[in-house]
Amino acid sequence: MTDILRIDGLKTRFFTDNGQVNAVEDLDVRIEDGEVFGIVGESGSGKSVMALSIIDLIEQPGRITDGEIWFRAPDIADELVETDAVDGDYVDLRAMSPEQRGLLRGSRFSMIFQDPMSSFNPSITVGEQIAEAVEAQRRARSNPRSLDAKSQHYGLTDYLLGGVLSSKRYVSEPSLDRAIELLELVGIPDPAERAEEYPHEYSGGMLQRAMIAQALAGEPDVLIADEPTTALDVTIQAQVLDLLAELQTETGMTILLITHNLGVVARMCDRVGVMYAGEIVERGTLGDVFDNPVHPYTQGLLGSIPDLQGVAERLQPIEGNVPSLLDHEMPDRCYFADRCPKAMEECLEHPPELAVNDRGQHATRCYLAETEYTAAKALPTDYFGATEAPAEADTAPEEPTATDGGDHQ
Amino acid sequence: MISKRLKQSLRSELRTSLMAKIGLVLILLILIVAMFAPFLAPHHPTETRVSDDPEVDKTDLPPIGMGYETSETRLVDGEMQTVETTIEPDHSFILGTNTLGQDILSRLMYGARVSVLVGVLGALLATAIGVPYGLTAGYFGDRIDDSLMRGADMMLAFPSLVLAIALVGVFRDTDFHTQQIPDPFVLAARHDTLGSFVPRGEHVAAMPASITFPVTVTLVVALVNWVWFARVARGEAMAIRQEEYVKAAKSVGASNATIIRQHVLPNSLTPVIVLATIQVAAIILLESALSYLGFSETTLTWGYDIQQGQSAAATYWWIAFMPGMAIVIAVISINLLGDWLRDALDPSIEGEGGV
Amino acid sequence: MGLGKFLIKRTIQGVIVIWGVVTITFFLRFLTPGDPVSALTPPDAGPEVRERMAENLGLNDPIHIQYADYITDLLMLDLGTSMRTGRSASIMILARLPATLELALAATIISMIIAIPLGVISARRRHQKSDYAATMFSLLGISTPNFWLGIMLIILVAVVVGPIPTGGRDVSFWEATVMLFLEANPRGFGNWAIHIFLPAITLGTYFTALLTRLTRSGMLEELGKTYVEATRAKGLPETLVLYKHVLRNTLIPIITVLGLQLGTLIGGAVITEEVFSWPGIGSFLIQQIAYRDWVLIQGILIVIGVGFVVINIIVDAMYAKLNPKVVTE
Repeated sequence: MTDILRIDGLKTRFFTDNGQVNAVEDLDVRIEDGEVFGIVGESGSGKSVMALSIIDLIEQPGRITDGEIWFRAPDIADELVETDAVDGDYVDLRAMSPEQRGLLRGSRFSMIFQDPMSSFNPSITVGEQIAEAVEAQRRARSNPRSLDAKSQHYGLTDYLLGGVLSSKRYVSEPSLDRAIELLELVGIPDPAERAEEYPHEYSGGMLQRAMIAQALAGEPDVLIADEPTTALDVTIQAQVLDLLAELQTETGMTILLITHNLGVVARMCDRVGVMYAGEIVERGTLGDVFDNPVHPYTQGLLGSIPDLQGVAERLQPIEGNVPSLLDHEMPDRCYFADRCPKAMEECLEHPPELAVNDRGQHATRCYLAETEYTAAKALPTDYFGATEAPAEADTAPEEPTATDGGDHQ
Repeated sequence: MISKRLKQSLRSELRTSLMAKIGLVLILLILIVAMFAPFLAPHHPTETRVSDDPEVDKTDLPPIGMGYETSETRLVDGEMQTVETTIEPDHSFILGTNTLGQDILSRLMYGARVSVLVGVLGALLATAIGVPYGLTAGYFGDRIDDSLMRGADMMLAFPSLVLAIALVGVFRDTDFHTQQIPDPFVLAARHDTLGSFVPRGEHVAAMPASITFPVTVTLVVALVNWVWFARVARGEAMAIRQEEYVKAAKSVGASNATIIRQHVLPNSLTPVIVLATIQVAAIILLESALSYLGFSETTLTWGYDIQQGQSAAATYWWIAFMPGMAIVIAVISINLLGDWLRDALDPSIEGEGGV
Repeated sequence: MGLGKFLIKRTIQGVIVIWGVVTITFFLRFLTPGDPVSALTPPDAGPEVRERMAENLGLNDPIHIQYADYITDLLMLDLGTSMRTGRSASIMILARLPATLELALAATIISMIIAIPLGVISARRRHQKSDYAATMFSLLGISTPNFWLGIMLIILVAVVVGPIPTGGRDVSFWEATVMLFLEANPRGFGNWAIHIFLPAITLGTYFTALLTRLTRSGMLEELGKTYVEATRAKGLPETLVLYKHVLRNTLIPIITVLGLQLGTLIGGAVITEEVFSWPGIGSFLIQQIAYRDWVLIQGILIVIGVGFVVINIIVDAMYAKLNPKVVTE
């Protein structure tokens, strides 16, 4: 399997009045062509920022400060072969100019957002907005030098003229027709009529479908879905996920699925990456991560899912809170150590990424990949200051029960 | 009414915002000047100095540092001669004099009194009319709300200056126009025994003994503005009457009047206060416009001085310039203050504008 | 409800307000002390002369008859006869109306041309020098008395440029247009433009400042919304994102505020006309207040009031058209 996206050492920082926020900190991940890759994490783990970094929508006061994003695009690689941005068939997105990266939006990378109702402009019809996406890609592809931004220029005068002359309008008839086709593709009934309606006239589920339709307009290679089902009712969630799966089989596009819902991951993903404090702390195939989690955070996440079938046991929440991402407050040690039930002395040094098994698929940022945890090596429980004790201290287990670092192949 | 949280918010906003500090300082300055005008003003504001004798005549003097040269063609010994003269400023008239030889700086200081009085009292009056009206409409809702607000909105069908001019025309010939407010400092200075305690006693004693307060203008200004207060109060009342504590009060049998007085009114005051501040600025602009047009009962105002200076504006520009600058400074500082309040208390307020 | 129904409902509301306007104006006259009969008859007139005058003016009829006459006259667009000159009030007022319309429109258009781009630039370059400059300018603009600004501009122009007519109006816009097209003579326009230039700028300053402020804050708020990011993610050129989406959504709620501010503009026009001796209904009103000609005063008030209501209805209609949520809910 070839990788379509290789991210090396990505660092995205926000320079705010309160200090520097390290939203994404040294992120490495490989995503294969045609797979569904899940990114799991709590709010504040940096997953959305990572997505926005790939698609280059990070705005002031944020900036990508380091790292490379290698994207497999042989045709672009040919064009840019003279520059540093090329390595074989791969181009480093960060090394490209902002205009060039802008051209990739919608055509190679597409994104759908969490709340469909706030992702559409409320005062323009849905059909028109989808047609805009279609048109943007149509114009991009019709240029032989696809990276030449100038030929795509549509300026203020063009827009003003477009108000008067229909030939100067941005959105063309064929694009509108294609928009209606796309609406049909995602399963919206009476697409021609619904295209004339406004976002507030759609239900949440339908609008999310419309957003998917919009994302497909450019026939992207990679679709980034940021919490696509979080704002929807449970029954609708299933429908939307099925739609995504179906489309993925048909078009073969890669999906980067960002969510905090492990159920969604289990249903949709081939491989998974778990994010914490701006890093990927564990990654691997679905089986690897769900059946043999190594990192205590992953174990904690999985342990906090209620099991409908088994005996009702007390849920195991992860103690403590998501750490601050302010640069001056981030420690040099493993970021999870203060909440980790298996923190050892080694953990006072920041762990690198370590392979869990020889196949190299399953990796984790945790010393437990190499060393076993023993009570002897443990750090004293109040090493990091008192964490909030659970309400009934007497029923707290002394050792973690359900999931254990245990033996691993 | 103003909770601790609000006070904290106000303080932190003041600390961080340079503009708010400037506004506050300027306003305090204006208030001090207005109040202590008899002490601070270098001359009597209405004393004229017109004379055929060029030594005595002190008309149209430029401000300090702005002497200029001019050529006059005069009849000298039966012949027309062009003489180059230098017009020198007189150092006791810091901002110059107007065509009647009156000291501009003193007039500005006394004019501040009128602006402040009309601004503050006008806003208070508008609040006193508008807030109860709006609270009633908002609290009782439905039919009462409809009819009350329909009537109020009809007043908004006229642009405020136009309505003000019309009302001035109506009230102008009626009996209540001016009220003389005695100036305590001047009276004290003129008093036999107290006079010795008053600093600059002789100077103060020579100042005008009372302030001419334009009642009609204040009334008109309040009548033109109250609807904004009614609207804001109505909005607040409608929101508050849904609150739990109002329902609780009702269930215990409290009368509507008590509820409005004890619950609705105190909690609706925050946006009203912000609005009142903003409206003081609008009122000052309105009052100056009316004075400019000659519709005010007192001539010791900034607006009137601008009108006086208009005809001579090409040559003696400072006569019209100074009072105008005074208005700009006053209004800016109030706007800054209003911004401070609004940023700290964060309601979304609509208000009327200026002229 | 559809747009048509909305318009009808709004128009009916407007008619009621107009009725209120008209009635208030009617009663205003009765509030004035001072006797129209004395105003129009020589001081030494005997009681029969005065009686006849009162009869002529309809002052002897009971109030409701006077009111009924008043309303019926209005419906026929008859605003009465001037007390002082005896001419038709409607004609006198109508003659002076175009000048005011010219001034108000010129001021509004100039304001929009300056304020909207300024607001957009200010929002995009937030916290930079150009933003602070624009914000300062706006603050000054809403704090400056209109009449004083006019006088200062007159001085400025006189000093800097030299003798430029700074008052009055020779040629109306219509006349200038006719001159241009029928006689191919552009001088009419030149004359009109020179005369309207200063008054329009003076009148427009407050409006420009306010509009800049509103555009700036509106855009900042709008730019923070999620759909902006989503629209960029589609690959749409930045120009379209900014103008077709963000600016459009910013301007829509501003329209409602503009309707109210037009009242301030009309009020400002009254003063500006006075300062520049511009022959519109504003300066006419002030003139007639001095003359105490209440028929004319009433007529002008009605024209202004009705005009204002109509403008507000139009503004509401525009808002309803642009904001789909209003109509379809």
